[in-house]
Amino acid sequence: MAWVTDHHPTRSELDACVQCGLCLPACPTFRLTGRETASPRGRIQAMDAVAKGLVPVDDTFAGLLDFCLGCRACEPVCPGMVPYGRMLEGARAEIEEQVQGRSRLSGLLAGTALRSRLLRKLSGWSLAAAQRLKLTSLSPRRFRRLVAGARDLRQRGPSIVGYSSGEATKVALLAGCIQDEWFRPVNRATVQLLERAGYGVEAPNDQTCCGALAAHSGLTAQAEQMSSQNLDAFAQFDTVVATAAGCSAHLREAGWEGTEVLDVTVAIARAVSEGRLPELPPNGKEIAVQDPCHLRHAQRVVDEPRQILVAAGYTVVEIDTVGMCCGAAGLYTINQPEASAQLGEAKAQQVREARTRLVASANPGCEMQLRSYLDSDYEIRHPVEWYAEAIGSGR
Amino acid sequence: MTLTQDLREALGDENVLEEPVELHLFSKDASLMRGEPSVVVFPANANETAAVVRIAERHRVPIVARGAGTGLAAGASPTQGGIVVVTTRIKDIEIDVENRTAWVGAGVINLDLSVAAKPHGLYFAPDPSSQSACTIGGNVANNSGGPHCLSEGSTTSHVLGMEAVLTGGEVVVLGGAAPDPIGLDLKGALVGSEGTLGIVTRALVRLLPIEPDVRTLLMDFATVEDAARTVSDVIAAGVVPAALELMDQEMVRAVDNWLGAGLPIDAAAVLLAEVVGETEGVVAQSELISDIGRQNHATGVQVAADDDERALLWLGRKSAFGAIAQLAPDYYLHDAVVPRTRLVEVMTGIYGIAEKYGLTMCNVFHAGDGNLHPLIAFDSSDPEMNRLVHEAGDEIVALCLKAGGALSGEHGIGIEKRDLMRASFSELDLDAQARLKEVFDPAGVFNPTKVLPEGSRCFDFGGVRRELPDGVWV
Ligand SMILES: Cc1cc2nc3c(=O)[nH]c(=O)nc-3n(C[C@H](O)[C@H](O)[C@H](O)COP(=O)(O)OP(=O)(O)OC[C@H]3O[C@@H](n4cnc5c(N)ncnc54)[C@H](O)[C@@H]3O)c2cc1C
Ligand code: SF4
Ligand code: SF4
Repeated sequence: MAWVTDHHPTRSELDACVQCGLCLPACPTFRLTGRETASPRGRIQAMDAVAKGLVPVDDTFAGLLDFCLGCRACEPVCPGMVPYGRMLEGARAEIEEQVQGRSRLSGLLAGTALRSRLLRKLSGWSLAAAQRLKLTSLSPRRFRRLVAGARDLRQRGPSIVGYSSGEATKVALLAGCIQDEWFRPVNRATVQLLERAGYGVEAPNDQTCCGALAAHSGLTAQAEQMSSQNLDAFAQFDTVVATAAGCSAHLREAGWEGTEVLDVTVAIARAVSEGRLPELPPNGKEIAVQDPCHLRHAQRVVDEPRQILVAAGYTVVEIDTVGMCCGAAGLYTINQPEASAQLGEAKAQQVREARTRLVASANPGCEMQLRSYLDSDYEIRHPVEWYAEAIGSGR
Repeated sequence: MTLTQDLREALGDENVLEEPVELHLFSKDASLMRGEPSVVVFPANANETAAVVRIAERHRVPIVARGAGTGLAAGASPTQGGIVVVTTRIKDIEIDVENRTAWVGAGVINLDLSVAAKPHGLYFAPDPSSQSACTIGGNVANNSGGPHCLSEGSTTSHVLGMEAVLTGGEVVVLGGAAPDPIGLDLKGALVGSEGTLGIVTRALVRLLPIEPDVRTLLMDFATVEDAARTVSDVIAAGVVPAALELMDQEMVRAVDNWLGAGLPIDAAAVLLAEVVGETEGVVAQSELISDIGRQNHATGVQVAADDDERALLWLGRKSAFGAIAQLAPDYYLHDAVVPRTRLVEVMTGIYGIAEKYGLTMCNVFHAGDGNLHPLIAFDSSDPEMNRLVHEAGDEIVALCLKAGGALSGEHGIGIEKRDLMRASFSELDLDAQARLKEVFDPAGVFNPTKVLPEGSRCFDFGGVRRELPDGVWV
């Protein structure tokens, strides 16, 4: 009984790997451990062994994949173009199906809570209240990192869901689940920039969480439900912009016909290069740029955030030429706190060495991870927020 | 106590793996041959490695060293079972800037060493195409080469000394920084010994100053013969470029499909040449090489505009073996050196053999050394295909040898090329090597059955066995 679902890694996906090992050094968990069991090649071999009936889908197999960040740094370096991210989701779907007793808290979060607007609102309100009352240190231990990394929600302002520019609307906005509750200023900056670039913007009311976290956790059915709800909400638009790298990566891979999904950094960089948005002269300030994995590795978007920051007048300081994962990785902080902490601290150290207190990160998870490891005088924001503020469209 | 109990006591539970799926992941390297380890261990240093060696000898089980497992000859495949000793925890780097040397842990990744040396204006010259992943220990054990070994020599020219664990768990330091250490060159015996004499835990390597200037040229040709003739002519003109690599069309297409660097995919072959040194010489040499290319009908000559472009070209070249994955699930690859004057005829012959058998063939190799790597992309799950591929392989080897070539050991002998050692060495040579092995490894635990074919010792002539395992490397 090797595989039991329709999602499992296919023979041709498995055969695409010739085991050359060139992906090993790009993998953060291989770097941490030096072990084949924590490497992309090893994980693919483990999937292959399951497919061949040599080993079962059990706790040990699940453990190998639980330790994977899903950062997909192994993909761009693989000359065989092995679709590792897809295979990982498939293998995790098998684990959800076959391994009993794994109803993890994070699974509950990814599958259910993020879809429910009420539960999300509750998370936003309760965190804002806790911040107001200075009670954040009382949060449960596994969540303390998340809470420490969250933005100050007391003045987060209104959600953009339901917003419409009124005119003939061209661009639709995916507000995101966590993004909409905890990172509203990013969404508002996006609306302002797109409008200033001459586009109408709409954030349809009946949208939901993109389903990325559910898919990454192997909750395929839930992910598919969210995806089809979003398809209904967005199908009429030519262009959909998502403001969190994790969401844009996931939606792009859904392959909606006739609808182009763009990460906000790509949409804004494009508007700048088309002359729809201004390029400011250098302001003499340096900013460190952190690349979210789901932007850099999953979408191969590297230049755009930098173009936006340069257009905002900043001098970009590189902190990491290979884009090693910061350890946030969706729910990794909760599920693998130790490895997450090692990677988080390493990333924070790279930022410290950049010798500037200004930081740009295009994904909410990474931003929170950075904030929770850096001193409170670091200012960490999304590139479009830095840009909107610089050209006077923000906040 | 059982084997694993002993190992757990010596190294701690977390450094001993024995779950079936975990063992499976250490059962092979980048070749096609699998073994079955009994247990996998991760020692942190020479002393822990020594403890493992003593335990292996006490329990009389094989001990197989493993770095990154990028070897192509099944050297790190535990084909006789036993303990796989992974060196990745031994990863300290101590650079002596003044003397331009470094003590490097066996588990340090080759490229990481050069990255660490860069701020001091230094680098480690051997650059196997796998350098972003393979370890210094693996490089030493296989005496690995690489594109830039054309001018600088392979790993052995860059190893001054080493710390190694020998039989009985004895930790020794062989060689040293002195230009000519006294006594026999025992370090030289361990370089290239593929884990059959002992385990290298640290190496003392030579670092070179980063060259002041560099030019990288990409030349494309309408026929492979034109490219091959250019190689012969460049060498004949007395130029020794830092690197001179050839890739044929099939290979360039697979690489560029992934890399998207706009490589000349319509050319039948491309040559990647690099010259280094003072600017004046670099410019003169690169012009000479382009002229020779044009005389041989190069259809295009480009010079990498900056470091980024250069890095992209090399990334393309060094990822070639991995890019084969786009063509077929497996590849079967040869490693032979032929006289550079006969490159043209050998290449023509090799393509002829592939065509005769109807096989997908690509070529990507260290042309400057005449070190060929003809690759056949195929699916090893098809038995008929396996047979064809092996027959074609035999013909290719015969062709290379007839042209005055030799089997190269660049990628190691391991198991995959072991039985072809007889083509390169006499019975006497093999006997001498087997005796050396006996002196170093009286208990017979270090990577048994690798490198030396069965019956290498003259008195135990077991008849010449010629068994070609799946995906044998010749
Ligand atoms: C894509 C690709 C490109 C390659 N390009 C080249 C190339 O250009 N030139 C080239 O020469 N090779 C090349 N190789 C082959 C291979 O990468 C080299 O042989 C490399 O040196 C192996 O290093 P490793 O750490 O992966 O060793 P492993 O594969 O783990 O081991 C190789 C051998 O060394 C032994 N060994 C490992 N560590 C030790 C130690 N500490 N002490 C004693 N024995 C040890 C093992 O037992 C085994 O016999 C390539 C391989 C791939 C997959
Ligand atoms: S780089 Fe690609 S082909 Fe090579 S081992 Fe990794 S996944 Fe497999
Ligand atoms: S997704 Fe990231 S952690 Fe997982 S195997 Fe790939 S590189 Fe490693």
